[in-house]
Parts: sequence; structure tokens; C-alpha cells
Amino acid sequence: MERGFSFAPEKCIQCHACAVACKSWRELEPKVRYRWVENIWQGSYPEIRCVSSTIACKQCDDPPCVAVCPEDAISKRLENGIVVVNAEACSGCQACLGACPDAIPQFGADGKMQKCDLCLGRIDLGSEEPPCVATCPTKALGFLRSEVE
Amino acid sequence: MAQNNQSEPFTLEHARRVAARNGEEVVPGFCAMCGPGPNACGIYAFVKDGRFLRVAGMAESPVNRGGLCPKAHAAPQWVYSPDRLKYPLKRIGEKGEGKFERISWDEAIQIVADTLKRQKAAYGPESLAILSPALRSYSDYLRRFLTVHGSPNYGHSGICAMQRAFAFMYTLGDWPGPELGKSDLIIYWGRQPIYSGAAAPSPKLLVGAKARGAKIIAIKPSMEPDAGMADIWLPLRPGTDAALALAMLHVVVGEDLIDAAFVEQWCFGFPQLKAHVQKFSPEWAEGITGVGAQQIRDVARLYATTPRASIDLGNGVEHAPSSNDAIRAVAILIAITGHLDRPGGNLFGGPFGVPSTMPLPQDISLRERFTQEMVDKLVGPEFPRPFQPFVEGLSSAYYRILDSVLTEKPYPIRTIIAPGTQPSVSTRGSKRVLEALKNLEFYVVVDVARTADMAYADIVIPTATPYESDHPFDGRGGWLMARNKIIEPLGDYKSTYEFFLDLGVAMGYGADFWHGSMREAMEAQMQPFGMTLDELRQHPVGITYEPLPRTYENYAKVFQRRSPRLSGAPFLPQGKVAIYNTSFEAEGFSPLPEWREPPESLTGTPELTGQYPLLLSDYHTSKNYTASWQRNLPLLRELEPHPLLHIHPETASVRGISQGDWVIVDSPHCSIRVKAELFPGIRPDTVMVLHGWWQGCGELGMEDMPLLAGGANVNAMYSVEEGKAYDPLITAMTSQTLVEVRRA
Repeated sequence: MERGFSFAPEKCIQCHACAVACKSWRELEPKVRYRWVENIWQGSYPEIRCVSSTIACKQCDDPPCVAVCPEDAISKRLENGIVVVNAEACSGCQACLGACPDAIPQFGADGKMQKCDLCLGRIDLGSEEPPCVATCPTKALGFLRSEVE
Repeated sequence: MAQNNQSEPFTLEHARRVAARNGEEVVPGFCAMCGPGPNACGIYAFVKDGRFLRVAGMAESPVNRGGLCPKAHAAPQWVYSPDRLKYPLKRIGEKGEGKFERISWDEAIQIVADTLKRQKAAYGPESLAILSPALRSYSDYLRRFLTVHGSPNYGHSGICAMQRAFAFMYTLGDWPGPELGKSDLIIYWGRQPIYSGAAAPSPKLLVGAKARGAKIIAIKPSMEPDAGMADIWLPLRPGTDAALALAMLHVVVGEDLIDAAFVEQWCFGFPQLKAHVQKFSPEWAEGITGVGAQQIRDVARLYATTPRASIDLGNGVEHAPSSNDAIRAVAILIAITGHLDRPGGNLFGGPFGVPSTMPLPQDISLRERFTQEMVDKLVGPEFPRPFQPFVEGLSSAYYRILDSVLTEKPYPIRTIIAPGTQPSVSTRGSKRVLEALKNLEFYVVVDVARTADMAYADIVIPTATPYESDHPFDGRGGWLMARNKIIEPLGDYKSTYEFFLDLGVAMGYGADFWHGSMREAMEAQMQPFGMTLDELRQHPVGITYEPLPRTYENYAKVFQRRSPRLSGAPFLPQGKVAIYNTSFEAEGFSPLPEWREPPESLTGTPELTGQYPLLLSDYHTSKNYTASWQRNLPLLRELEPHPLLHIHPETASVRGISQGDWVIVDSPHCSIRVKAELFPGIRPDTVMVLHGWWQGCGELGMEDMPLLAGGANVNAMYSVEEGKAYDPLITAMTSQTLVEVRRA
């Protein structure tokens, strides 16, 4: 069973609750974030629109962070598709940050790489959803569970 | 590929399981991180060893249905903030110096009571005013205390909700809310449907309407995310809503897009309106509002010709000298186009959601004791005396109370109690407000945390957050629930409710204050529900009442409604929509809506535009802050660390301003220092900031900002000149001025 997020931008009201719920539940230190919301402008005044995007680790199929890590501290879990970091092994070199197209990897006071792991080990991934999804007032953010052949 | 995307809802049972897994307890409760109205979201609070850790949204709550906004999640940081007040304080230095000594709760109550007794004997009870910018769940306790004391001076903002209520009710007999769930066209006008309660029903209704294919129109000067979701955006100049509404009336009247049968049967004064709006052409309005004449025509036609169309009129229209005219004009537009109390239109019953079968709590405001003498003694009426009391009771305008300290007209207020409000950042004219606080005889601050102007207080009363209190019970949106104490209070304090009960007893008013028993106060208010508080507590997630079935076209009943004035005269003297308003005319006000320029504007004061070529206004609410608090909470401050100036990239570029530059904004009244955010979705002739900036965030190493020049307090930037800066009928204080922006 692979897990991941779905996002419907037309339902996102940019309230940023997902970002803050994550920080609260994961007890993240200041400046470290596993999820954030961005406003994207399209066109120019007065023919202008804005749309929403929420950004977190995509748990890539072929993660560049895994490939680049000199310590082999990052791995993709086959049973659920989650990309996890072994903090013991991480040297804090930040090569993963350079390799990630979304600049996801975060580094706090301990210097180790950290990022969204879908709350692995904190929630029952079979029946529960992470706090970022649970808090979403308009259900723009969803949690997917798909069987992989 | 099989999918199982259904997750368990966050019910009490689920919350208990999550808590057990983490060795925690869970307490059902209400969120307390935003203002009044329908936004009392249900939460599950997680607690370990007596410490409040975090929250989740309560799935059973019909208000938020499991969702929560970012503010809700910052609640533990609010409770445990280093800025919390832990014990009562008495001033020992000069006013404004900020030197205090610790005193006990009882001593503090005694000092306040002794002062009020002395002043009552010397100057009369009206020398006391209590400020309350917004409706709070404790507002009725403030009103009760004032009335028992004998003062009419409840200080209401003059910039929120009651301004709309007044203009709507004296035009339509009701403040009709949009039936968003059935509208094919929704105009969000001066409204922020997302940030004012992101987890409450209104954003879900917006998203649902879009999914259904309804057309969305947004009318506001800048493109916040809600306007980004709209099909049509009318970027009008701040403070020009009345001109736009008058032009829309011009179009629908001139092109005969009215519901003739409704107008004939239920409207008074249509012929006068027809003559009156001739002069308000879309071309005329284009010059004032900055919205193209053709776009005004298109939107007016679209609204008038869509049978199920509604207008969600927001707080943005309550901040200009022509506010009453703007709101009346919109009310008339709703009525004459046949959208009043019809499916998908604007329905009687108030703007705050669907009426339910839930009874209302017993009214404890003591409004039955109002007298003509009290009306006469209002120090600065929010609404003119002939229209007092209004629906929430007697009120003086918040700013006028402060102003009376300096002008002594008609008499000076001697004591101000400020519970949960910060005059120097919550109302306009900050420079004069600080002067007033310096000269005020006795200033009592009642709050959970350090406030912007606490240094001027004589006595500081710390109070419990709602998370540390088991009262009040709350019933909104058809949902009634007891309040549970999530943690014990962190210091020598009680709740704001208990402060007024204790003060009442110390004043000798015990018989009117349940002899100091909060329990009895709650039970008295519970009576209409036919159960005791203990019985309500048997329902851990409260009781949800069925919505009332919708009925339409209730004109005969609603148009006869009596007003709350002492005379009980009806809102609508003719029993019809007051297009031509004889109630206003009789008191010397214009019977038809007019256009009045803000004190400073591009079209009203062109002589100022050489020095100050841009318009400035402010946002009333934001995604992460409620009014002038919460900047001290790291979880929220991180989302928006600095006060931002929304400025169009071209407007910035010609001034050599780049993204993220600190800039100085100068108005004729003050200057502020803010950070430029190049914002493509704003009128190039307009810049906007969020109001309420003063507070630092110690945990992130950010210091407090000055309240006047050099700070970011936008309220210091506006005119408060009597006769220019207010709406003459509903006070509505201007939040428009002219500015220039330069790099700091």
C-alpha cells in the first residue's frame, strides 16, 4: 500500500492550516517546516488571477536525495513508498537539499536532514490521516492509499 | 489500482484513542483564537501532566466539522506565552512609564471599586466607560455592569458589524444574509470570506458554490485568495463602495431591470430614487471608484438578471464616511431587483448562518433598564440619540469615549476599563488615543497578556484564557456545548466574567451579579434550554439542533418589526422597504443614499496628490493573526514575520523599491515603516497593510514596534477629524488616506 497526498488547488483557500498543524503536531523548531503554502500569480493587473499550491516532500519514485546522499542515510521504504532519513547516519552535508527540485530538506539545530515522512510511526497509516490533512477546512488536501501491484 | 482514501473522522472516540497512544488525555472544548460571530469551532485539546500540548478539530461540531485554521493550532503558544500576565499589577511610576508592583486579586478589585464609587458620587455614573471593540462572549457582562452602575457608555468600535446592521435594518427591517448554498451568482463585496473563520462554514460555501458552477464576483481593492477564486474581480478604490453601489442602482433603475411587482407592493419611495440616481452614472463612478463604467454596467446587469443571486456584504464597507449610504444602496439594490428573501438571494434571519431550533440563552444585558436619561448621557453616541438603543444596546463610539478625555465635551470620561482590547492599535487616531490615555484619570486593563498600552494602566487585571476556564457554555450555529477547563490557571487570576462578578459584589451590586456565583450566572442563562449545566455536561460534544425549515417572502411580518429604540417605533415606518428613509429625514439626515468623499482621496482632495499620490487602506483580518494580537506566537509569526506593504510592482519600481525592501509610508498624519511585498494583484494607485502591528515575538527575537512614527500601526495614519472622517449616522471611521512611499 503506497501512501501520498492529493491536492485540489481549486479548493485551497490558502489558510495555511496544513503548515501550522504540521508544525504543532510534529513539534518543529522555528524555521523548520515540512509543509508550506504558496500563492502563484497568473497574468498581470487587472487581468490577473492567483492560485494555490501546498508543498511537502513528494516521496518521489526515484528520489534524487537518496541517490545523492554520500552516507546512504536516506532510503525509500518499499512497503509504503515513504522516503525516510536515518538521523544517526546523516552527516548534515546538505547534498540532498541541492539535489531536491522542491528544496524540501530542512536542517534544524541538530544539523540533521528532516522532512515530511507522512507521520510514519505516529499515526495508523491504514485508517488515519496526517494532521495537515485532517485540519484542512475545505478538503483541498487529501491522503491517498493505493495498492501497488 | 485499488484505493482506500477514507480516513476515520476525528471524533471523540478517535481522539481518545490518539491520546491513549501518546499517554495523554483529551478534553473537548471550543477554540478561542478568533473573534465573535459564528466562529466557535470545536476542538479536542490534548493534555499531558497538566500541560496543554496541541489541538485537533472536532468532527462532531457542525461549525467546523473537523477542520481547523492555523490560529487554532497556536493556542498552546498563546496560553504559555512569556507575555502572559500572571498576577494583578498596580502602577507605581508615571503613566506610560510601565512601572508596576504586584498586588493580590482582592486588592485589585477593591482599588477599582473604591475609585468607581468615588467617581460615581463626584461625577455621576456616566463617568465610567467600558471598551469593547468587538462582540465577545463576555460583552453582556460588560453591558450589565454598566447598566447596574448607571452608565450608558459601552464603547463599541464604530467600524464593525453594527454599521451594516444599522443601515440594513433601517432599510429592510432585517440584515439579510446570502443563501450561498443556492445562489447562482454571489457577489463578495468588501468581504473576506476566508480569513474570518477559515474553518467555519463560509469558505466551504465559497468552494461549494464554485464547484456547483455558480459565478463569483469579488469587489475589493486587492486580490486576496478569495478574489483569486472569483470569475470577475472589481478592484475598486478603498472607501468608494457607495459610489459603486449608486452607479449600480443607476443602471438597474435606468434600464428597468427591477422587479416591478415587488417595488410596487413593498417599497416606499421608488419614484424619488429614480430621480435621485440619474446623476450617478457608471462614467461618474468610474472617475471615483477606478472601476470601468462598462464593468459596472455588466455586473449590475448580471446581478439584476440572475434570479438566484446574492450579495455577501463584508466589513470592508464599514470604514468610510459614506458607509451608511453604501450599505443602504446595496440593501435597496437587493430589494428592487427582487433578491430579498427569495431562494438563492439574501434571506431574512441575519447574516450568521441558518437559523436553528436552538433557543437563545437568557439575555442578561439588562436592556430593560435603559432610560431616556441614559440615552441623553451618552458621551459620544455611536448612532445618533434618536436611534438609541440599537440591537446590542446603548453604545458610545469607542474613539469618541477616548476623545472626550481630551475635549471634555460633553464631559470627560474618568475611568476606562479595557477588557481584551488595545485602544492605541484597535481604533483610529492612535496619537490622540495615547494622549487621552496619558490624561485619563483611571485606566484599567483587563487581559490575558501584556497589551500595547498597558504602560498607561493604573490597574492591570490578568485574566484566564478560555482554555483555563469552565465557562461560559457556548451555543452558536445550532450547536450547544458546555465549556471544559483544559488546564488549571497559570497564576493569580480569574476569568473576565468573574472579574465583573467580583467587581459587582465589591460595588454593592451583588444582587444583580448572582452574589458573585459564576455557577448561578450560567444556570440563569441556561434556563431557556430546559436543562442545567450539569445536564449539558452529560453531552461531551454538545447538542446539535435541527435547522429551521427555510421559508421565503416573509415581507408582511418582517417589515412590521419594531426597533429597539425606547419608543419601540418600527424600523420601517411605512411597513415597506425604506428606499426613501423618512426616519433619517426626520432627524436631519439624507433620506436617500448619497456619495461622500473620504477625508483624503484622489478625487476628493486632488490638492494633496502632488505630495501624497497613492491611496492607503488596511486589511481588517489575516490568515494568521486576529486583529491586534497573536504576533507574539511563533507558529503564526513565522508565516508573516514582518508588517508588509502590498504594492504593485510598477508602483514600486518607479520608486526604486524592490521586493523585501523596508519602506517608509508617509501620510498627512503619521508615518509607518513596513516591508514591501511586490503584489501584482493590487490596484497600482493603492497600497495596503494589515492593521494591528505593535507586538514583538520574544521567542523569535523580534522586538515590539513603536505605536506611532517608525512603527507599523496603520491606525495612526488616518484622519479622525470630526465632520470629515466619520459617517454622520453610524460613526464608521475612515480607513483611507493618501500617502507616498519611499525606501527606508
